[in-house]
Order: sequence, then structure tokens, then C-alpha cells
Amino acid sequence: MSEARIFEGGYRRYEGQRLGAAHATRAVWSHTLRRILGLGRPARSKVLPVLSIAIAYVPMVVFIGLAAFLPENIRDPLLPPYALTYTFITAAILLFVIFVAPEALCPDRRSGVLSLYLATPLTRTRYLAAKAAAVATALLLVTLGPPLLYLIGLALQGAGPDGFTNFMATLGRIVLAGVVLSGFYTGLSVGIASCTDRRAVAGAAVFFVPQAVNIALGIAVFALSAPEWLIGFSMNQGAIAFVLGLFGEDFGENDGGNGYVIPMAALACGVLLWTVSGGALAWWRYRRLQVTR
Amino acid sequence: MPPVIVAESLQKNWGATRALDGATFTVGSGVTGLLGANGSGKTTTLGLLLGMHNPDGGNLSVLGMDPRTQGSAIRGLVGYAPEHDALPPDVRAYEVVAHLAEVRGLPRREAAGRASDVLFELGLGEERLRPVGTMSTGQRQRVKLAQAIAHDPELVLLDEPTNGLDPVQREEMLRLVRRVAHEMGINVLLSSHLLEEVERIADDVVILDQGRTVASGSVIDLQRGEGPAELLVEVDDGARRLAKALTADGHDVTVVDASRLVVAFAGDATYDAVRDALAEEEIPVRRIARRRETLEDVFLAAGDAEPGAVAG
Repeated sequence: MSEARIFEGGYRRYEGQRLGAAHATRAVWSHTLRRILGLGRPARSKVLPVLSIAIAYVPMVVFIGLAAFLPENIRDPLLPPYALTYTFITAAILLFVIFVAPEALCPDRRSGVLSLYLATPLTRTRYLAAKAAAVATALLLVTLGPPLLYLIGLALQGAGPDGFTNFMATLGRIVLAGVVLSGFYTGLSVGIASCTDRRAVAGAAVFFVPQAVNIALGIAVFALSAPEWLIGFSMNQGAIAFVLGLFGEDFGENDGGNGYVIPMAALACGVLLWTVSGGALAWWRYRRLQVTR
Repeated sequence: MPPVIVAESLQKNWGATRALDGATFTVGSGVTGLLGANGSGKTTTLGLLLGMHNPDGGNLSVLGMDPRTQGSAIRGLVGYAPEHDALPPDVRAYEVVAHLAEVRGLPRREAAGRASDVLFELGLGEERLRPVGTMSTGQRQRVKLAQAIAHDPELVLLDEPTNGLDPVQREEMLRLVRRVAHEMGINVLLSSHLLEEVERIADDVVILDQGRTVASGSVIDLQRGEGPAELLVEVDDGARRLAKALTADGHDVTVVDASRLVVAFAGDATYDAVRDALAEEEIPVRRIARRRETLEDVFLAAGDAEPGAVAG
């Protein structure tokens, strides 16, 4: 005779530990990050993240391959300096930015799930912080990952910076640049995405608002003779220019020696202004957002 | 057993609109219906209970805590299912329920296990891996209920849980709500504008009208007409004149129409007062009848309750 038995379990009460708001914040961060990257979702949700990551990493893999297979005298002129790696990943960053923050923020408001989140231990500020942290983490994949891979790849081939001190200095610049770019695009895109619950509108706005600001700055500087350092406040060039500056590259117009160079201070102010303004706009929008009466 | 919710003189304004105007009530264990017409302040009350807004006046205690200062702790012990659609359509039911249980304080593994258990308990075992957007309205309402109870709360707030359901689905949802309270041991505050629904499943009821509590107590007592006693006075004409005279004499009077008024009953002295006022004002009387308010009387009297709402 079989020993198997079926027990009617019924509903069981939860007697374990209940974790607080910090746990809730981590849970939202992790869930959002998975959503952004399309993990556990249909294949179509993975297309954009995979494409962006491929665009960002493939050039680095190619350069590391060149470093591995070409002789030193041929490879060295071919390998771009670290600052120039950012020009290769700009398109990937832009593509990633266009869909990441809208994907993180808009569906929660559109589907009404925000009202459920705010009925948990999360406050509005914590919810927004978790979402922004998820966006920033996702962006680090394309702002920090590729240059870091390039540095490590070259170092392993003996083509990296000379000596430990130079290696650490370059590593420090790469980490700082990645964090600055990630923070800048997080602030900007979260701020814009907080103004609409439609992903497509938010994505288009993330693309076009920086262009509009750029045009306005161009008119101010070149047509109305405003100071040239204002160009440092460009949304779509300022952050990359600041990062290039970290590696000692100037940003400006040479114009046969009669041009101008945007000072790093102006670039830093621009990056800070847009990062903080975007974050503040999102915070203000979510403070005012009415989810239930 | 201490009360689950104690509200005293709650006030809340939304701009120039007064949503709550001194609501006072106590909610005990079991199922309590929060009944009222649209705009009576039910959803605002739920928001205040969760600490999502602060009241402009009055005192509120939920599970012995103050939502103004302990909102986060309260929300970890309370489940909530809003009236409107609030589920992401492209996410599987199981994932929504597990994620929200985790956000409400359960460790990830425990949240995942309980999400499955609760979905099975609510009859969604087979459907739990389907995206919410592909489910029927009835199934989505059950997922909403599941996410509200998966973390095993002390209290669950359900805002119009039968909205949009057909009669069969409504029946099933009411059965589940009752099961949540009586088999799972979770206290339920059910907000509804349907008297029949509340009468069927609630142990106690709180009736709101224009932000004020117009009745509260046991559903059975109110159904039996054991509400406050009163005298119904019918006259040929002049109900308002009679009301004025009785009010001047210190009685609590409500004029129903030109020929009827209701006087709060405080013993034989009330009969004497009505008789004297009728004689003094020379108003011909048709009928004086003593009665008790029923749940339906209170609900019907509460502002603009829709006839359909009463019929269910």
C-alpha cells in the first residue's frame, strides 16, 4: 500500500520577519532594472537593450581583438585613446537613454500600479529614488562598462597605461566619467519622463528636448553674441565634453587659432545644472501627482 | 480585542471641496462595509487610513498606530486594492503579486511562495503565469485581491471590489472577500456604494454621507431596525411650522416633505411635545407612528444614493 498522503494545507499565516522601507526600495530597484533590461519578459522587450549594449561593446571588443592579434608597431596607431572611446558609445548611450527612463517610470503611472506602490511602505521619494537608481544602474552598463572593458582588455594585452599609477589614474577617470554620464542622463531623462505617462512621448522628448536647448544656445551665442561659455550648458554635448575634459581633451572651436575653448567649470556647471534640474522636476512632479483621493 | 480603526472627527478638504466633514467611526474585526454614495468620502477615508494623505483635522488610529507619523509601518501591515485598474498588463499575475508582497516587506523567497499559494487559494492557479492584460475583468479583480493579501496583512482595504463584474463574478468575489476575513483571519474594510453587497457579507457597517458618518454598527442590528428610535409625524400641511416649533422646544427634527417630519424619540415626553405643538400651531394630524431607522432608511436618507445602488 502506498504511503503517499495529501494534506489540506489551507491558508497559512506569515509569522516571519517583515522588512522595512529600505527592503522595499531595493525590491523596486531590482524589479525595475530587470524590466529595463527585458529580463523575464518577452523577446521583443529585449531588442532595444541588447541592441544598445551591442552597439556600445562591439567596438571595444574589436579594438581589444586588434590589440591581441596585431603586432605592436601596427596596433598602437590604430588603437584610439581612452577619451575617444566615448565617441564610439555616444549612439548607444543615446539609444539607451531614450527608452530606459520612459520604461522605468511611464508604465507605472499609465497602468495605475503607482497607486499600489504608494500603498506599500514606500514613500514617493523612496519610490522615485529606487526608479532613478535603476535607471542610473542600467546606464552604467553603457557609460562605464565599455571603456572599462577596453582598459582591462588593453592592460591584459600589455597595451594599457604604463605603470600601476597611470593605470589607476585612467581607471579613476573612467569610473568618474561613467558615473557623471550616468547621473547626467538619469537626471535629464527621469525629469522628462516624469512629465508624461506615455513611453513614446517621453522617449521622443528625451531625444528632442536636448536638440531644442542646443539650438537655443546656438542662437544665443552665435546670433545674439552671448558669452561662448554658455555652449557648456548644451544638453547633448556638455556631458560628453566634460568627460573628454577629464581625459585632457578641450571642447570648443579652433577656427585657425581664433576660436574658443569652453572652460571645464562651465561644462561642470552645465552637467550639474541639468542633472539637478531633471531630478528636481521629477521630484516635484511626483510630489504633486494625485494617485488617489 | 482592540478596534482595528478608530476615527474621530476626521476632516479633509481637497481645495474648496470638503471630502470629510467630521466623520467618526470605529472598525472592529471581521468584514466592515464602508457604505456611501459616490463622493461621500469613502476613497478619501481609505487614503487617510493608509497615510497617503494627512487629515486636516481629527484623530485617526489604524492597528493602534497614527497614519500621520507611522504611515510606512501601517502600509506594511495593511493590504489595499484600489477601485481603478492598477495592474501592469504586460506582467504575469504571479510576478505582480510576488513583487508587491516583497515590496510590502516579505523576503523574496517567501514572497514568491506566498504569491503562488494565494493565487491558488483565489482560484487562479492555472492562470497565474498569464500576463494580467490577457485576463478577464473577474480574474483581474482576483489578482488585485491576491496582491492585497499575499503579504498576510492584519487589515485589507478593498475599494469597490465588484466594480465592472457580472452577477456571477460578483457573487464569486463576495464569497472570496468573506473567505479572506473568516477563513484567513484578515480584517476587511470593504468600500462600496451597493447596500445589498454590504448587507450580504459585512458584519458591521459605517455609512458616510457628504463626509459625515450617518450610521455605524452591526449590520444585523440595523437590518432589524434597532437603530435610533424616532417618531414619524404626518400632517395635512404645515410640517415645517411644526418642525420650527419643536426645534425651538429643543427637539431634533428632520423635515421629510411638506406633510411629514421625523422627531428623535426620547420617551413619552416626545409624544407630549408633539401633541402640544400640534395643538398650539392648530395643525391637523393624520398619523403619529413610532419606528426605528433601518439600514436602508439610513442609506436612502444619505444624500443622493442611487436607486439602482440600493437594489444592488
